Amino acid sequence: MFEYVFRGLLNGSVYALLALPMTLFFTTAATVDFAIGAYALLAAAVATAIPGPLGIAAGLASALAGSLVMAVIFILLKRTGSEGIRVALASFGLSLAIASLVLIVWGTKPFVRQTFTTMFEVGGLRVNPQGLLNVAISLLLVGATWLVIQRTQLGRMMRAAAVNAAGAELAAIPVIGVQCGTLVAGGLLGGIAGLLILHSSGMDFTASLGLTFIGFAAAIIFGIQSPTRCLAGGLAIGVIEALSAGYTSGMVTSMVPSLFMLLVLMFGQLGTGRFSGDRP
Amino acid sequence: MQITTRRALARRLLPVLAAACALLPQLGHAQGKPAVKIGAVLSMSGPAAVFGIPERDSLNALIKEYGGMMDARKVDFVFCDDKTNPTEAARCVTQLINDEKVVAIIGPGTGGGILAAGPVAQRLSVPLLGPAGTVAITDKNNAFYPWVFRIAPNDTAGMESLWKQIVRNGAKKVAIVYQEDAYGKFGAEFAQKLSKDLGFTIVETAGVPYTATDLTSQVTKFRNAGAEAIFMQLSVTSLGASFLKAVNEVGFKVPLYANSGLAQRGFIDAAGPLGEGVRVLSIGNIPYDPTPTEQKLNAILAKSGFKPNGWGEILAANGFMTIKAALNQITGPVTGEKMRDTIETLCGFETITMGKGCFSKDNHDGWAADATILTTIRGGQFRSDAK
Repeated sequence: MFEYVFRGLLNGSVYALLALPMTLFFTTAATVDFAIGAYALLAAAVATAIPGPLGIAAGLASALAGSLVMAVIFILLKRTGSEGIRVALASFGLSLAIASLVLIVWGTKPFVRQTFTTMFEVGGLRVNPQGLLNVAISLLLVGATWLVIQRTQLGRMMRAAAVNAAGAELAAIPVIGVQCGTLVAGGLLGGIAGLLILHSSGMDFTASLGLTFIGFAAAIIFGIQSPTRCLAGGLAIGVIEALSAGYTSGMVTSMVPSLFMLLVLMFGQLGTGRFSGDRP
Repeated sequence: MQITTRRALARRLLPVLAAACALLPQLGHAQGKPAVKIGAVLSMSGPAAVFGIPERDSLNALIKEYGGMMDARKVDFVFCDDKTNPTEAARCVTQLINDEKVVAIIGPGTGGGILAAGPVAQRLSVPLLGPAGTVAITDKNNAFYPWVFRIAPNDTAGMESLWKQIVRNGAKKVAIVYQEDAYGKFGAEFAQKLSKDLGFTIVETAGVPYTATDLTSQVTKFRNAGAEAIFMQLSVTSLGASFLKAVNEVGFKVPLYANSGLAQRGFIDAAGPLGEGVRVLSIGNIPYDPTPTEQKLNAILAKSGFKPNGWGEILAANGFMTIKAALNQITGPVTGEKMRDTIETLCGFETITMGKGCFSKDNHDGWAADATILTTIRGGQFRSDAK
């Protein structure tokens, strides 16, 4: 039992990292960027192509470039209307385009990298140091994001932009600028998540939508409005997945996490009565 | 004088030109029969592109090799990408038959695509040559059975010999990891059927989605169940590599076996040293231990600058050679019906892959277990075991 929970927590921390950009963008623009998984895929693909630390830098740069394209799309869409759903749908389109680009350039080969070959044992458990690194990076980034949103001027601007864009503009907040900045930061976070997955389990060109969905699930399960909630969401999904894999067989295994999410969303009171950008 | 000469020349040339014009179509016929069009509906994007792209490359290399001719007949291949989507596959088949007037189609690229396009092929009377292992595509209960042929060994072919080897190597309690789709589920169920006859027990099974990021919990479960060997019914190479990583991470040391889905170069590349010793059933083995017949295919691929990857190339070559053999036998105009009738009579025709191609009225599965071989990953390569 403990082993499943432990392994679930390790994996869940990566889910939280995928959820974080969704929370960030929702906090500032009240819509969702579904291309997060694609930024992760692009970063992993580029990092595989270039060996060494340069590959990591290039991977992150490519994820940033991907999110910059999304930022341009976002600005263009904002000029012609304000419905958030258009941005969400456009991000789906970008996600498919990036996945196709990866397929064209790198073909169908999987992207995997192994950093650590030796495992270490803790209380009879063999642990890959990469898993602990994932948790550390994830906690660090979630914590930093939480601090930015809750404790800084920039965070207040971000929240104001989502709650009342017109009012925020009147208060001299560069709303579009803040929102685009968040999109690009989200791209960077997605890229980091992609690199962590590349070094843990690996992925192939089909991964982008799957990663987006798991990130989205982790972001909404306990409420999308706070980084700490998305950390909790990611960890919870990770643990439930691990327990389900450990104690159920066959097709039931992947049904259990979905069922859990459905139940939490239906009956969970966490996050009700709260709105995005609300003060704590 | 000059004018007279010109007129005289024209008068002399005219009959020659007229005769040449009259003879041209005859000359065309002497060089070849009327051209035909063949469709290729392959999964060139989407998850099955892993196979669709090598299939496309292999067809292009073969078309180039034979100069676009078969039986002194110009053969035009028209490609359509089914995007690994059954709806798109049915649309492609309809379009190629109605608009391009193809007389046979290699594809669609996946079992689901073939099942979706089967009724279309039946209605429009054009045979499909499916490069998929899915058993259901050539089920005689299908109304479209007469119109669908398989140019691959089916998913059960070779599995029995693999399972026999697992038991022979001393494993009685086996765990199965399979991907959550028709291929994965079928392999797990077929193993269950085989277990009674071969005398082994399946102690645990784990279905995993394509995009699973961590499989250590599944491996832990297998270890706790006391599995003596693990069988992998996976075709997504990253998933296969990810599973090997999880086995290593949990520190569970048992023999690992995989069905033909993982007999891909991508799996070896992604698995790295963790793949060493894994036994994999393979449809042919063109990248590492090609048989003399397979070497012909490799030479053709090399001429066009393609590196053999795995069985995608083999299946497309089977389709190409089946079409070629059928066209060799048809005299007069080629139609979808004629192609279908002729393919049903083909047996022991020229192939450039492992195993014998043989169709009949009662058997639309052209290739059998002799097209598969057991391999072991050694030195980062699939090395064929002695047959």
